[in-house]
Parts: sequence; C-alpha cells; structure tokens
Amino acid sequence: MKLKDSNIFRLILFVLIPLAVIIYAGLDSGGYYAGLINLVGINIILVASLNLVNGFSGMFSMGHAAFMAIGAYTSATLTLNAAQKATYMPGLPEWLMNLVLPFPLALLAGGIFAAIVAILIGFPVLRFKGHYLSVATIGLIVIVRAVLDNEDQLTNGARGVTGLPPYASTWIIFTIVILVLYLLHRLINSAYGRGLIAMRDDYVAAQTLGVNLTTKKLSAFCISAFIAGVGGGLWGHMQSVISGKFFYIDYSFKIVQTSIIGGMSSLSGSVVGSILMTYIPEFLAPLENGLRIFGTRLPELYGISNIILSSFLIVLIIFRRQGIMGYSEIITESIFSLKTYKSVFDKSEYRIFMESLKGSIKSIGSIPTRISVWISNKKRKKKGE
Amino acid sequence: MTKRAVSILIILTMVLSIAGCGTKEEAGAETINVGAIFNLTGGQASIDEPSYNGFKLAADEINAAGGINGKMINVVSYDGKTEQTTVASNVKKMIDVDKCVVISGLSDSNYALAAGNVAQEKGIPFITSGATLPTLPDQVGDFAFLAPFGDDIQAYAAAEYAIDELGVTKAYMLIDQSMEFTKTLAFFFEERFVEKGGEIVLKDNYMNKDPDFSAQIDRFLANQNGAEILFISGVPDDAGVVVKQFRDKGVTLPVISGDGFDTPLLIEVAGPAAEDTYVATHTSLENTDEKVQNFVKAYNDAYGRAPENAFAALGYDAMYLIADALGRATDVTDPTAIRDAIAQTKGLEVVTGVITYEDGSHVPNKSVTINKVEGGKFVFQKEVSMSN
Repeated sequence: MKLKDSNIFRLILFVLIPLAVIIYAGLDSGGYYAGLINLVGINIILVASLNLVNGFSGMFSMGHAAFMAIGAYTSATLTLNAAQKATYMPGLPEWLMNLVLPFPLALLAGGIFAAIVAILIGFPVLRFKGHYLSVATIGLIVIVRAVLDNEDQLTNGARGVTGLPPYASTWIIFTIVILVLYLLHRLINSAYGRGLIAMRDDYVAAQTLGVNLTTKKLSAFCISAFIAGVGGGLWGHMQSVISGKFFYIDYSFKIVQTSIIGGMSSLSGSVVGSILMTYIPEFLAPLENGLRIFGTRLPELYGISNIILSSFLIVLIIFRRQGIMGYSEIITESIFSLKTYKSVFDKSEYRIFMESLKGSIKSIGSIPTRISVWISNKKRKKKGE
Repeated sequence: MTKRAVSILIILTMVLSIAGCGTKEEAGAETINVGAIFNLTGGQASIDEPSYNGFKLAADEINAAGGINGKMINVVSYDGKTEQTTVASNVKKMIDVDKCVVISGLSDSNYALAAGNVAQEKGIPFITSGATLPTLPDQVGDFAFLAPFGDDIQAYAAAEYAIDELGVTKAYMLIDQSMEFTKTLAFFFEERFVEKGGEIVLKDNYMNKDPDFSAQIDRFLANQNGAEILFISGVPDDAGVVVKQFRDKGVTLPVISGDGFDTPLLIEVAGPAAEDTYVATHTSLENTDEKVQNFVKAYNDAYGRAPENAFAALGYDAMYLIADALGRATDVTDPTAIRDAIAQTKGLEVVTGVITYEDGSHVPNKSVTINKVEGGKFVFQKEVSMSN
C-alpha cells in the first residue's frame, strides 16, 4: 500500500498540518508570515472558483479580476462608516450613505453583485467559444476598470478607497476557504458537475444526452463570479486599500497562472498552486536583494524571481500540461471524507500507516541506486542502438 | 515518472524553505534598519529605479561620513514589482522580519497608499520619496509623510509663473482624463490661474496614449479666443506626441505643464517642436546650485551615468530627510520618536529644495523649479517658493 493511500497519512498531511498552520496564523494576526498564509487562503478561493469555469466547464475566462473588483468595491461600500463614505463616495444615495452592514453580509452582497454582473455579461459573452471568450472577458476587466477610474463620485476615481476595516482575519478567510472547497467539491461530484465535465469533454455528446449547455455555462460562470466577488471582498479588507489599478489584467493573469500550475481540472490543484505561487517568490526574494552566502554578498538581481517563475511555467507546460495535481483530488477528497477522520479510531489504519511509511522511507533511501540503475539502463540502450 | 517529478519538486520546495529561513540579515545593535520599498520591476521601474539608486547613494554617503551618531544605516530593500499586494506584504516583512524603524520609497500614490497603510497600522513612519498626492497623509494617518511637494503646489507654481513671469492671462487647457494626477493638476492650475485674474478660454480632454490629437487641435484653432498659453496636463508617454502635433498645425504659443512632462521623451519625440515648453518640476539637474551639482557628480561616480530624472534626486533627498530626523530623534529605536523628529523637520536643504513641515502638515512646503526647453534641453528658469 502506498503512503498517500493511508488514511492516517492523509489526516496528518491534509488536515492536521494545515490546521496547525492556520491556528498559528490566526494567533499571530498581523504578522508578516501570517499575512502570507491569509494570502494563500484568498488565492485558493479565487483559483478554485476559476477552476470551476476554466478546468471543469471547458470555458476559458480571464475576467476574474473584474469580479473581484466588483466584490471588493461593493463590500467596501457596505462596511465603511458614514464619514469615510462622505469623503470617498459622496455620490452615494442617502440610504447607502448611512448603511453599515456586518462583514459577512457585505461579503455576501459583493458576491451577489458580482454574480448579477456575470449573468448580464454571460448572456452575450458565453456564446463565444475558446479564446474568443477569453478576449471578451479581458474586455470586461477593461470596462470595470474604466468605470472605477471615472465614476469619481462613487469610487473616488483612480485614487482608490483607503481605510477599509481589517475584517479579513485568518479565521474568516479559512472558514470561507473550507466552505468554498466543500461547495465546489460537492458540486463537481454531483450530477450537475458531471454535466459540466461532459460539456467540457464533448459538448455535442453532452447536448445529445440532455445537458442544457446555456444554463450550464451561465450558472457555472455565475457561481464562479460569486465566489470571486467574495474573494475580492476579502482581499480588499485584508489590504485595506483598493483601487481599479489592482484589479487589472495582470492580476487576472496571475490567477490564471496559479490555476494552470496547480492543475486547472482539480480543486486540490488550486490549493497546491496557491501555496506554491505565494511561497516561491518568498524563497526567491533573498536572491533579489543580494543574498549573503558565507560572508560574500551576491549582486542585487531584481526581477530574477519573475524570470525563474516564468521559466518554471514554461517547463511545466511542456512536461506536465495538466498542472502539478493533474486530475487528482486527493486533498479535497481527504478533507471532506469521513473515512479520514474515522481512521483515528481504527487500529489497522495505524498498522497500514507504519508499513507504508517504512516502505516510503525505503524507497527514498533507494533513490540513488534507482537513479544509477536508470542511468546504466540508458547507457545500455544507447550502446544497443 | 511524473509522480517522481512531483515528489522531487516538493522536496525541492522544502529544501528551499529551510534555506529561506536561514538567510536573516545580520543586523547588529550598531545599525539602524531603514526600509526601501521601490517598484524595481514592472511599469513603475523607469522612475523608481533611479529613485532607489539615489536612496542607496545617500545611505552610502551618510555611512561613509560616520553614520547617525556612530550608528550605520542598513538599507533593507525589496522590490514592489508594481503590484499592490507585493508592496504591502514586503512592507510588512520589513517591519516584522527585518525590524526597520522607518520606511521610504515609491513614486506613485496608489502604491504609496498601500505601503503607508501597512506602516500606519504597525506604527512605523513612512515617507514616500516621489508620490505627490497631497491628501496622502490625510488618507493614511499620522505616520505618513511626503518628501516631494504635492500636486497642488506644482500646479500653483505653474499658474503663478505663467501670469507673473510670462505675463499671459488667457490659457487653453488640455487634460488627460484617464489619470488622477493629471485631473488634480489641472484642477489646481485652473484654481490659481483664475484667482490671479487669468481666464481659461477653452478646456478640452483626451485619454492617455491617444495617438491622434487632431480633433482637439482643430477645436482649439476654431475657438482660440485669444489664448496666450497652452496648459497641457499629461504624463510622460504623451508629452512629446501632443506638443509635436500642436506645433505641426502651426500653434506656436508657449506650452506649460507639471512634472509629468519632466521626461527626456518630450524632447526625443517632439524634437525642435518641444522648444518653448515650460515644465514645473522638482529640480533642474542643470541648476548651478552646489547641492545639485554635487549630487549629479556623486551619482555619476557611483553609477557611471547622469541621474535619469528628478526622481533620482527625490530618492536621494528622502534618505537625507530620514537621516536628519534620525539624528535629531530622542531614540532611534522608537518609531514614534522618529515620527516626531520627521514632523519637526525645518529648513532642511536638499537637492530638490528646502524641506519644512509646517503647522503639523505632513506635506513639505518646497520650492518648485521651472524648466524650459531651449536648444533641445531643459534649461533652468526659476525656482519658485510657494505658499499655499
């Protein structure tokens, strides 16, 4: 039995360790490393929702930043106090001026507003297929940006809105992460989700079998936009400052990139991709501002992390087009399956875990020999030819 | 095979993470950590990089001269990548991990707002080296400062120079409506110009990166109403294009603008057509003032080229502003004491003028330099001291 099939192992790696990390971040709120963990959470929300459209439904949307912007501005409008609104949004109607909602409701409103825009945009845009849809959704980002920059009375123009209350704590972010992953996990494994996948794989066949393409496309797009709106709201309340500039094409590309690296057709991929894309730049940062090795200081290489990341993306696309996780759902399956939790009370599970652990340690130990065998095999092959 | 690749990747990540943890700056008790956050890559790089170079240069000079009361300055710098998230998280990192006591940098208000908010929350003073949004300290809080003048000051200077020195009273305004900076600049120019008895004869709009201005120019030619000067509120990439097209259509009136026109692009693109353009900006690198010339020479010695633009000088000045405050602060490990020292800065002579924070304002009352394009270069005309 392989280690990754052991329920105890899954429990430790996918439930207990993340839980410990989240609790650490939650207790050290405001710290730099905690901030990074929160960012991972928000990225998971955004990427998972993008995967619903791009990975599972076979459409290719690039418009996520637009929905984030809508969510962020809506939630900002509903949580700022009246004095702040008078400064930043003097053009609001009277009833909105004095309306201050609790954060979860404001997030929900942001998501709903994003979903409404998605429906309005969806009718004309979802007729497109493939890259035409991508271009149309990029257009949506440009429109949203133009509105945000020019509706001075409602959005404070390009100056942006500052002073959003910092409500997006680690607890709230990861509660939403779990909710979103659970919702999408159940959705994808339902008849609805299988319909989506059928539509992705062969839309003619899917249509013949009674899948209504229009409603499927529109509803998936809409759900995805809703979650992106919520994610945008969280993002705004984490950064405490928002402006149209930041919900622009480059941010959208970044989400798409994360989604591709993790694996577009996998929710677990969104988790892995978000962790990697948030932390890799972190590890490369010392390279940028002059790493000290054994007392000597390397030259400053600003931009090197972008180059390394892009090379990584190219290599990944060549050798593993389906992303790191491919179609595997090991993370969400482990988290949302009772089996994982029941294993704690099952003695045989511990035995399996220990055995598979030994097996893995052995196989790691044998890597050098395996590599040498592999090399000698290659040499033999070459000679033979 | 692919599985093995994945596992190797995961192992690599872990190894990297361990390596990452081991690389802490060895900050001794004798150094003061000063954070430098600049967008060294991405869209802002062309103005932030000279700024960062100036900042480092100043820190090296201060250290060479003995540091701050014997303590050396250690510049901790990160790249903001022209992304708000990266800027914010790197500022957080400077404060939490690198223990910086004061942070400076950035030339655009949007990024400065992000950085300022984080610093404010953590109670660390933040001085933007180049962002000119006059309301920035109000929006962020009492730990935020501007090292340059605000947009209002440069617009006022341009308006007063036009009326007092050029003796014109009727202005035509062309405004880039796509940016906050250009809109603000135009607003304040009009305010002062009209206040001083001038008259705006016609106002017109365009959007950043418009390739063709013939509609606006034709409208102007049809309704000149005796305009004597063109005020064009624009940013570097449009500067040369718009001036050239006006000249090509036979408009020979002088042109005046803000620091958005303080770019080599103006002269490179417009060529001889750029003549007779006035620019209100932070400094003139041609100014014969000793401070300016010493800076130009030091920059040349350090980087093998002349300062690219006024932002290099702004970065340099921000470091000296910090050094001055650190020298006066009662306790250089206490950010609040440093903030109070910055707020009390008075008559500090730097390359881009004299910095004084008056009446609790966190925007300095600095002089504005007026340059004019003459013979294919920016020629220093006048340094205007402004009062709000």
